[in-house]
Amino acid sequence: MKEDPDARPAVEQAKKQWEETAVANTVSRFPERRARFDTVSGDEVARLYTPQADADSSYLEKLGFPGEYPFTRGVQPTMYRGRLWTMRQYAGFSTAEESNKRYRYLLEQGSTGLSVAFDLPTQIGYDSDDPMARGEIGKVGVAISTVRGMEKLFDGIPLDKVSTSMTINSTAAILLAMYIVTAEKQGVPPHKLTGTIQNDILKEYIARGTYRFPPKPSLRLISDIFAYCTENVPRWNTISISGYHIREAGATAAQEIAFTLCDAICYVETAISAGLHVDQFAPRLAFFFACHTDLFEEVAKFRAARRLYARIMKERFGAKNPKSMMLRFHTQTGGVTLTAQQPDNNIVRVAIQSLAALLGGTQSLHTNSKDEALALPTEDAVCVALRTQQIMAHESGVANTIDPLGGSYFVEQLTDQLEAEAERYIRTIDDMGGMVTAIEQGWVQRQIEESAYRYGRSVEDKERIVVGVNEYQMGKEAEIETFSVPEETARKQIENLARTKAGRDRKKVAQALAAIEAAARGDDNLMPPIIDAVRVCASTGEICHSLQQVFGEYKENFN
Amino acid sequence: MNEDIVHLVRDVRQNPVENTRAAARLMSLLENHPARITELYAGLADWPEPLMVLGITGPPGAGKSTLVDQLIELYRKRHPLSRLGVIAVDPSSHASKGSVMGDRVRMMRHATDSHVFVRSLAARGHLGGLALGVRGVLRVMGLMQCQLILIETVGVGQSEMEVAEFADMVAIVLAPGQGDGIQLLKSGLMETGDVFVVNKADRDGATQLQSQLLSTLNLRASVADAGAPPPVCMTSALGGDGMDGFLDLLEVHCARSGDQWLTQRKQRFEQEVEQAVLQEAHRRLADMLRTSGIGSEGITRVLRGETTVNELATALLQLSARGKPPYNEGHVDERRP
Amino acid sequence: MTTAHPRARILIGKPGLDGHDRGAKYIVHILRDAGYEVVYTGIRRSPEEIVEAAIQEDVAAIGLSLLSGAHNELFRQVIDLLKARGAEDILVFGGGIIPASDIPGLHEMGMAAVFTPGSSAKEIIATVDRLLSVRQEV
Repeated sequence: MKEDPDARPAVEQAKKQWEETAVANTVSRFPERRARFDTVSGDEVARLYTPQADADSSYLEKLGFPGEYPFTRGVQPTMYRGRLWTMRQYAGFSTAEESNKRYRYLLEQGSTGLSVAFDLPTQIGYDSDDPMARGEIGKVGVAISTVRGMEKLFDGIPLDKVSTSMTINSTAAILLAMYIVTAEKQGVPPHKLTGTIQNDILKEYIARGTYRFPPKPSLRLISDIFAYCTENVPRWNTISISGYHIREAGATAAQEIAFTLCDAICYVETAISAGLHVDQFAPRLAFFFACHTDLFEEVAKFRAARRLYARIMKERFGAKNPKSMMLRFHTQTGGVTLTAQQPDNNIVRVAIQSLAALLGGTQSLHTNSKDEALALPTEDAVCVALRTQQIMAHESGVANTIDPLGGSYFVEQLTDQLEAEAERYIRTIDDMGGMVTAIEQGWVQRQIEESAYRYGRSVEDKERIVVGVNEYQMGKEAEIETFSVPEETARKQIENLARTKAGRDRKKVAQALAAIEAAARGDDNLMPPIIDAVRVCASTGEICHSLQQVFGEYKENFN
Repeated sequence: MNEDIVHLVRDVRQNPVENTRAAARLMSLLENHPARITELYAGLADWPEPLMVLGITGPPGAGKSTLVDQLIELYRKRHPLSRLGVIAVDPSSHASKGSVMGDRVRMMRHATDSHVFVRSLAARGHLGGLALGVRGVLRVMGLMQCQLILIETVGVGQSEMEVAEFADMVAIVLAPGQGDGIQLLKSGLMETGDVFVVNKADRDGATQLQSQLLSTLNLRASVADAGAPPPVCMTSALGGDGMDGFLDLLEVHCARSGDQWLTQRKQRFEQEVEQAVLQEAHRRLADMLRTSGIGSEGITRVLRGETTVNELATALLQLSARGKPPYNEGHVDERRP
Repeated sequence: MTTAHPRARILIGKPGLDGHDRGAKYIVHILRDAGYEVVYTGIRRSPEEIVEAAIQEDVAAIGLSLLSGAHNELFRQVIDLLKARGAEDILVFGGGIIPASDIPGLHEMGMAAVFTPGSSAKEIIATVDRLLSVRQEV
């Protein structure tokens, strides 16, 4: 991108000339299809992108090199040339036994990364025998009410040989404790464990809804986990700060970046106030984004997010370790973009989305199955999704070079735009007093609700075409096979739980719960008492109940 | 279910706890046909009355819904046998006439409490912003033996004034960091408020807002020579802080002014009935004027100078006194004016 | 755009533990755009809470949104509760992630309409308008 500085104004002039003659000429005879062309998030897209005035001099400042601040072009110097991204497919099954079977199969096939989905009652802290769990047991993932369930889940699986990612938030401390105790029983000490817990409570309030306690005590729990793991489980990724769900709820690309980074800012501030030094825990922070179908916007989004995060960590938090400034992230193709109509089209959408994520430099990727809009995926559909990634890896050339779209006039300008827009949101939230305040006031939720509404209307009004949905529809839709959860799951689960609860030392359980409540009232780290309680088979629900006595319960905000 | 007002009233009266459906239907009936409230008036004097009707208003974002939710919780704890009614008013869309009523979200935990009845109302373009339906809902809640009735509304425009019309006491809820604090203080809010609540008292700027409020209120009180200024409460409703103090204040006011409120309500109510009677009389007279000979002929005669307005009015009243049904247009009445 | 039933009241709620409310909120807004008065009760509500609120608000219909797969059990509970309270004249419609194979069962249960993902606002409003015009009005 080496240009003669004196030539630059010439480019601007020539462009103007071109617009006034060639373009004007053509447009007067053949008008363009629309008055305005937008990205899916509503930002205008110009006809042509040329080098910006100071594009060249700022290359080093704005782009730099992969693996070096500000990491715009990627967080590793060799990226996929050195190692392909992790192909990590999220999976949820109804019982610990079935999940265990699937994990063993995956391990036999050479996989070393496991991913656990939990059912909603477990995610929110209700045992399977709680009336609140009615109808929900085992539906979106596995039900784990006590450590026995965790043991069954990993029966015969050496926890020092696998990396486990658990999608768990308000009850993350409890499930992590169960994992640690399960490993203990296998003879594996905590410092050998690797994996991730999502543990991102702020986005629950914003977009996903599996919150339990109010923000302040929830943040306390999170910083307790940070502190405990820094000491005892150092190879564990203690948080996966997520934009995926925020985007699914209707946020625009800029909002996805901004709200995720604001959540990150809040977590970093929390950990620092708890006495940790930023370079101690920041290298373990990981992120999770969505990827939608407007390929160029997505690539720009990831680049903007990396640059913005790096600057925030360096300038706002004074991080010194480059690892603290790297935005490492997992991407999932956007479920909300997939349609129930003509499901085969979704295969194409997912292919475009995964290409975008890879051009955007993601560290790991989950590709959705074509029947995503209908139910949990079948084995066949999951297979195609995995093949999509494999074709990307070996046939598309995307892994041959780093940041292939870097230097594209369009993508660079879009990157700058999204960064600026995200920064504006971050400033607004700062002015409000931070993310917790913005959430408690319902401001963030309202922004997302409005974006979702605008998008929905644009589809209704056919301003935005969704193939197969509001255009190119087909009368008869083929019935497709979907996966459904067997009915006796709930019954079996409740029976197992009853057996476990009957076989416990009730006194020890009561003591352990009392210890948790006492710790919650004070300042002591909650992980040790939770681990102790889990060891004597205190249940998820019982532990949450004890915590709730002190923390209270969060109530939803609307309007 | 018999949709007849009389039957619904009887069902609600007999068993307010069981017959929530009848109460709800009655409220709908009165909301959709506000004029029919007059059918309730006969015998209304011995309907039960609430101890207090409290209006809760203020700018959006002040935390009114949270305050209401916590107030319900506290009141229920203190008075486990008493019933409580909540009327939550939300604006209607000018364009579509529809409305999004989301105030319930904050208080859904009380949905299965048989002693709490919540009704959401859309303003329906009513001039003052407050719904026409409020009057009817209030009456029915009284019938249901609600001791405390809360009316929650967004305080923008003139809805605060309207709330004062229906409520014994009005609480204005403000929060720091709302930017337009001082503007609010200068608006009509100051006159309507009987008690002011600085919510989110744990936030920056709460103490400043409190002192601004206090000084403005004190100044007004001394200038108007109106006695003590309205009190200012500090709450942090989200955590329940200050709620005891707030409810104490309300109960003290209630004990002190309860009788006065009943008298005022009685007076307002008598005015209502008077209005209703006059309206009905007017409607009948107007009908009579139009359809009897007096109208069509008489008006022309007035204009020609053959008779006067007063004479015409007397004739109309005499006609009505004789109880003669209205004639069709053009029919000459042989009893001359 | 006015409805067949201007200002009819509808309640929208999410029973069970699923917290994805984008769809429910969108339905709330389009119903409002169509002239309905919509009571929104938020996420994570029990069937008891939803039915009690619906009765107090005297709505003509309840709309349930559910994406966690618990629809068979939870929709049934709402319908049964309405029956028990003598309020089966309140119509119930639902939407979310509902496999086509479950829909006949839901209709049999008493659901007046079930919307699958991708149903347009036009379709939904038209269906709701039609359902409510059959119902008695005050």
